Amino acid sequence: MFSARHLILVTMLIASLGLTGCDGMTDDLLPSGDDKRPDVEAGTIGTQVGQLAPDFSLFDTLGNSRGLYNELSNSTGVVLYFTMWCPICETHMSNLRTEVIPNFPTVKFFLVDYVMGTIEYSRAAQEAYGYTDIETLVDTDQQVFNLYQASMGTTVVIDSAGNIVRMNEDYKDGVKLIETLQALP
Amino acid sequence: MLFSRAKMALVAGAICFSPPSVWAASCCGGGSATSLILPKFSKSMVNIALDIENYNGFWDSNGDYLNDPAGSDLNQYRLNFGYAHRMASRWQAAIVVPYVWNSNQYAGLSSNTQGLGDSTLGLTYEAFDGIKCVWKVRDWKDLIPAAYFGLALTVPTGISPYDNVENSFDITGRGFYRLDGNILLDKTIYPWNASLLFSYGKYLERDVNREYGNYVEPYKKELGDRMLGTATFGYTHFLESMDTMTFSFSYSHLEEDAGSIDGRPDISSEMEKNSIGAIVAYSTMNRDWVYKLSFIHASPDSGQGQNFPVTDILTLGVSHVFR
Repeated sequence: MFSARHLILVTMLIASLGLTGCDGMTDDLLPSGDDKRPDVEAGTIGTQVGQLAPDFSLFDTLGNSRGLYNELSNSTGVVLYFTMWCPICETHMSNLRTEVIPNFPTVKFFLVDYVMGTIEYSRAAQEAYGYTDIETLVDTDQQVFNLYQASMGTTVVIDSAGNIVRMNEDYKDGVKLIETLQALP
Repeated sequence: MLFSRAKMALVAGAICFSPPSVWAASCCGGGSATSLILPKFSKSMVNIALDIENYNGFWDSNGDYLNDPAGSDLNQYRLNFGYAHRMASRWQAAIVVPYVWNSNQYAGLSSNTQGLGDSTLGLTYEAFDGIKCVWKVRDWKDLIPAAYFGLALTVPTGISPYDNVENSFDITGRGFYRLDGNILLDKTIYPWNASLLFSYGKYLERDVNREYGNYVEPYKKELGDRMLGTATFGYTHFLESMDTMTFSFSYSHLEEDAGSIDGRPDISSEMEKNSIGAIVAYSTMNRDWVYKLSFIHASPDSGQGQNFPVTDILTLGVSHVFR
């Protein structure tokens, strides 16, 4: 019994160490605060902060075609928020609606729905979750989601010249978004 | 890159908010489900438990219940390996390592991922020397419960949003160390059993410089303090063989305060969940083997939680005690 018990223990430890030792999966054990964002060349097209945002065109939930640079032409900036209608998204969107949007009337805010797949379903979700007051783009085949290397809650700020400004990252508490929008020309 | 932090939220269910698992015996064996507790006078214990968790909508930040999008079917399976070892007559240590499978159909999308979850190391002090289970109360001392005081360290061995993951399908952990203080009071006056568990946990602040594989401007993040309270009440039936069947019901309240980002409150991290449970445990006469089946239910009603998925959890577990 003694040896069997220790055999099980050793097996468990080896298994756990082996699995956690996989490349890139131990970063949480020793987190780094180093800024490792890659250097980018201004004026190039890409998804990093400081680059020119790649253009795209999507339908909104009302069936209208919306192009990024067309929207930028009549606003001081565009904010994209990638949503999948989940608890954290709901918290972010609620904060966006109450704390951000009213204070920046010249900025265009879009929810980007990358999960529902059709305009009809996306509109249904928008209504069900109570966000018909925020324009929602339907990323039917996740083209924009992949183009911007987004994830759930990713927030992208693009100024009127098409530059990605400070943010292509998680919404978090919205403070960085507000600071970024306040600094827009 | 689908599911991203929703996946994290699901994993949160696995790692942080799962109810007391189907662990082993109480002081006499076959007791209520609480934590990985080694019975008195035994040397060690191995426990294996399979959690099957089904997701059914969520509570929003106001506590209102919302359905998942049409066509959604979200499930998580966790295989928990546990080992407890007696260090001294009143001291015991334990380790729990989960392995997590996610199987999700969300709207028109599907994903299947797996990986190691966050592990837990525990150290428990037993504030008693003799068996505290009694058949009859003859003296006030017979009413004294078995009291356990424990510390548990959650180690982020899982794959979190801050790891070098190529996409969010890989996420199986929260990415934070957490230290819990636990108090368990357990009393059996045959055939009845009652236990109270209170746990208070504090996450350690950490640096973040990457989200889902993309490097971002570094910041510091801390999750909010976590509180768990569970009350369990059970009845033990002795079979002719002197094996026992224990039937228990539990109520749990879990909550996590708002965390912080660079010292500011994190609006997305405050959570709450209430759940009820039914547990059936079968124990052999000598209490060496304990088999448990539990069902933990969260009610899909507004006011029963906040900012968290509504889930049902079916758990199958077996433990073996080495004397």
